[in-house]
Amino acid sequence: MVDLSKIPLKSRKKRDVTEKFGFFGLGACALVGLLFLCILVWQILSPTIINGAEGEISAVNEYITETDFILEWYNPNWDAVNEEIITEEIILRLKWEDTNGSHIHDLEVRVVEERYIEGDVYINNLGVSDTIINVSKKSHLTIYSSLEYPVEILQTKGPVPKADEMGMPEAGDFVIETDIHVLFDDQGKPVFTAQDLLAWSILFIITLIIIYPNEFVLSIIEKLARQKYIIWGVASLFSLISLFGENFGLKDGEWRGYIAVFIWFLIVKSIFAINSGIKRLRKANKSLSHKLALSQSIINRDGLLLGNWFLLFIGFWTIPVLIDSPFFVERYQNIFQPYSSGIRAAFYGTIWVMSIAMVVALPISVGAAIYLEEYAKPTRLTKLIQALVTNLAGVPSIVFGMFGLAIFVKEGGFGWGLGQTVIAGGLTMGVMAMPIVVLASQEALRSVPRSIREAAFGIGCTRWKVVKDHVLPFAIPGILTGSILAMSRIMGEAAPLIVVGAASVIYFDPEPFAAFTDSKFINFTVVPVQIYQWTGLEGDAWKSMTAAASLALIMLLVGMNSIAIILRQHFRKRLLS
Amino acid sequence: MLKNKIDLPHIILFLMGASVILITIGIIQTLFFETWGFFEEVAESRGWFVVKWDLGGIFSDNGFGCVLIFVCVIIEYLFTKNPHWTNNFPSLLNKNKNLMMVGISLFLLLCLFFFESFWVAVSLVCFCLVLYRISIIKDMHTRKANNKALWVKSLLFFLGIIGVLNSITSEFGGALGEFFFQTEWLPSASCPDRRSLCESMSFGVNGLLLTTMQVAFGALIIAIPLGVGTAIYLSEYAPPRIVAIVKPTLEILAGIPSVVYGFFALIYIGPLVVKLGDIFYENGWIDSTPSVLNPLNGAIVVGVMVLPLIASLSEDALRAVPNELREGSHALGATKIETTANVMIPASLSGILASIILALSRAVGETMAVTLAVGTMAAFTANMFLPAQTMTAYIAQRVGGDLPFGEIGYYTIFAVGMYLFIITLSLNLLGNKILEAYREAY
Repeated sequence: MVDLSKIPLKSRKKRDVTEKFGFFGLGACALVGLLFLCILVWQILSPTIINGAEGEISAVNEYITETDFILEWYNPNWDAVNEEIITEEIILRLKWEDTNGSHIHDLEVRVVEERYIEGDVYINNLGVSDTIINVSKKSHLTIYSSLEYPVEILQTKGPVPKADEMGMPEAGDFVIETDIHVLFDDQGKPVFTAQDLLAWSILFIITLIIIYPNEFVLSIIEKLARQKYIIWGVASLFSLISLFGENFGLKDGEWRGYIAVFIWFLIVKSIFAINSGIKRLRKANKSLSHKLALSQSIINRDGLLLGNWFLLFIGFWTIPVLIDSPFFVERYQNIFQPYSSGIRAAFYGTIWVMSIAMVVALPISVGAAIYLEEYAKPTRLTKLIQALVTNLAGVPSIVFGMFGLAIFVKEGGFGWGLGQTVIAGGLTMGVMAMPIVVLASQEALRSVPRSIREAAFGIGCTRWKVVKDHVLPFAIPGILTGSILAMSRIMGEAAPLIVVGAASVIYFDPEPFAAFTDSKFINFTVVPVQIYQWTGLEGDAWKSMTAAASLALIMLLVGMNSIAIILRQHFRKRLLS
Repeated sequence: MLKNKIDLPHIILFLMGASVILITIGIIQTLFFETWGFFEEVAESRGWFVVKWDLGGIFSDNGFGCVLIFVCVIIEYLFTKNPHWTNNFPSLLNKNKNLMMVGISLFLLLCLFFFESFWVAVSLVCFCLVLYRISIIKDMHTRKANNKALWVKSLLFFLGIIGVLNSITSEFGGALGEFFFQTEWLPSASCPDRRSLCESMSFGVNGLLLTTMQVAFGALIIAIPLGVGTAIYLSEYAPPRIVAIVKPTLEILAGIPSVVYGFFALIYIGPLVVKLGDIFYENGWIDSTPSVLNPLNGAIVVGVMVLPLIASLSEDALRAVPNELREGSHALGATKIETTANVMIPASLSGILASIILALSRAVGETMAVTLAVGTMAAFTANMFLPAQTMTAYIAQRVGGDLPFGEIGYYTIFAVGMYLFIITLSLNLLGNKILEAYREAY
């Protein structure tokens, strides 16, 4: 034993200092990551928020330099700062020169109170279609030109929107803006399907009851659930109204009726499930206030809850609320006007590529994981497969891109000759996602308790039955989480798709199966490639557009990751209980 | 009975598993065939492999360095044979190991700064290594020392042979020699006939490899202290509240797409590095003004990118150490930092090492961030403030334009990709092997 008092004081002090230093030093190390994250987020956010100084120009000039060009002008005459209409009318002077000499036409733009009136002006050899045009405040004026000569548009009278030196509207006004507003029809009445909202809110309430049961409400449900036929009748009546109702009936391309049917079905199911839980509690002589017991006694509680949340989420989109984000879903890339371009093509391209990748990768990789975990004997071959999976997960993404280029895109040799299409990109991404998903699924399968397998074998199940009925239901949440995470990881990858040939600029929505049709529009692009392309362009405008696109991408990824985390938490709770 | 033997799910699942083999074979055959096409194309005009010997090189400073390395081998051999010779050395060598380490480190720095010739510096480093080993050999049992000395001897021998080869060959030519040994990367020089290759093109991949290594190792220099420090803090010190902050932070950092990191490097880190470079330039340490796109910029941003990988894998390794070791150390009166330094890190060293190797592989294979941060101009220079190009960046840049199949440019990306694949695959194999080994240990 060392006598503490005999250790020299100096040495003890030294030890204390090193201890403190170690604690704070290591803590600082750990927080550097946070610091970096903060700087990164700030750096990406700042270009999208900062407003520049007001420009000194007196009028906005736009040139229609190409034939068949469309000029779109958002929110003319709308003062975004004070949120009011500027009463001064705007006069645009349209000028062009052709073989007959020069033409000058004045176009007066008036903004009216009514909503959703959009102005279209056509220019052709005969002149301009209108001299006075009405637009509403949240819409845009569109000028279509079918001339063979450039048209100069000059604003001669009226207020000038905020603009920078180049005559472009400012960053703060344009970068990712999202409007949420309830839709109204022409008479100003809300376009409102009451029964959808009713279904949605009842499902919401019932879901809340399942999660946070209340004794009083439960007793009501208990009485209600006795009237089985009435409940089924009411639910089917409402479903029928949603489907075939006169005023609300399905219009072309609308699917909210089908969703309402599903919602009603789940409402009834949930009511009966709660009732079953109550009955069991009564049998066990427990009071209804015993929340934990209730949550465990409801049959298939988690499946129901998951279904409910899912339908609530989908149903939310069918409620007549317009989420209007032009940057995402309306604007294509526009090389000449940074602030009026968006990521529409890239956004849909990403969705298609991800969908194809997952459809390709998920079944095969889950199968491979099941084989490796449940079936494989430790032979040399299976060891080789395992090693390959582990090492493929670490191969640089660009190598997968080159694999895709030589196999899927190229024609001749081993190439499949799909061309630079969405499907080639999707297959490449699927191959890249495969090892990641296999590893995640293996992890999930490994976490299934051994006793479950042994019990199933003990009552004489075959191996496949054990896997299908006992192991997979336990492992599915883990597999799901892992594949969502893998998906979000490959969603941010640009390198393989650049190699496969994602175009940098396209003006149309990508067609997923263009490789098999005679379509001209075979190219595609994805959000990361779009960001990569925008970083190469000069100017502050492009900087803020890039930042906006990065922000959009990060938000997409964070959204997907949080879905994965919520799923994980949800199922972990179930496994623990 | 026969029916039971045919297990259809088994077969189908096996085929699914075997698809991994198919993919790997696909990748390798793709890369191999196109790389073969590249070498064939180049070899058509330049031959496969040409070496020009210049025996006079042995008398240059490089040759001197190599001779020194062989001297080191001999000393090492003699001392492992007869450890008692160390008694003849001054007591400094024998007694104060820490002082010895400090001295050696200083000496190494001086070597790297003052000697123009790479091989002289390497040989001096080897000399220091041998001296250090001699100082510790005395404590060891002879046979143990012999066993441990094996890798040192083989390493030194290997270095010596490479050095000699390097000093007595003046030039490597031909397709293979040019690709692996020359340093000028000019694959898109203007030729009269666009489709064929001409004399003014050159394919020395080292021009790309050096930048790749600068970026990767620079990233590791940043990421190792931070990552391992974070891992230690998380597993040993952190209160739950801080864990709840730091872990999601790392997860988010790992989840941010690399192209966003590239944009970040371009608008934020680049200008900072230029400020640093200006200071260097004013003091005359570098001889040209810094550029926004440079390997240092790439190294920093890739360092941030691989930090979560190192942190999470190292934390796993630290958590795998049995609690008894930690408690035993505490019971002996060690403070936390002493426990960490003397017990936890040695016990989890293999796991930390594996995480570092895997991070190195990730850093080598990183594409988009590096393309945006480092630039697109291949250069073989040690100055880390000038634009350069890594291997992955070359592929991304070359393929970004329109690239017709069968042209030399198309083949070059596969040659570079093959090299990249081999490097990263061997690093991954090594890292995973170490990981497996330590998983079995506890």
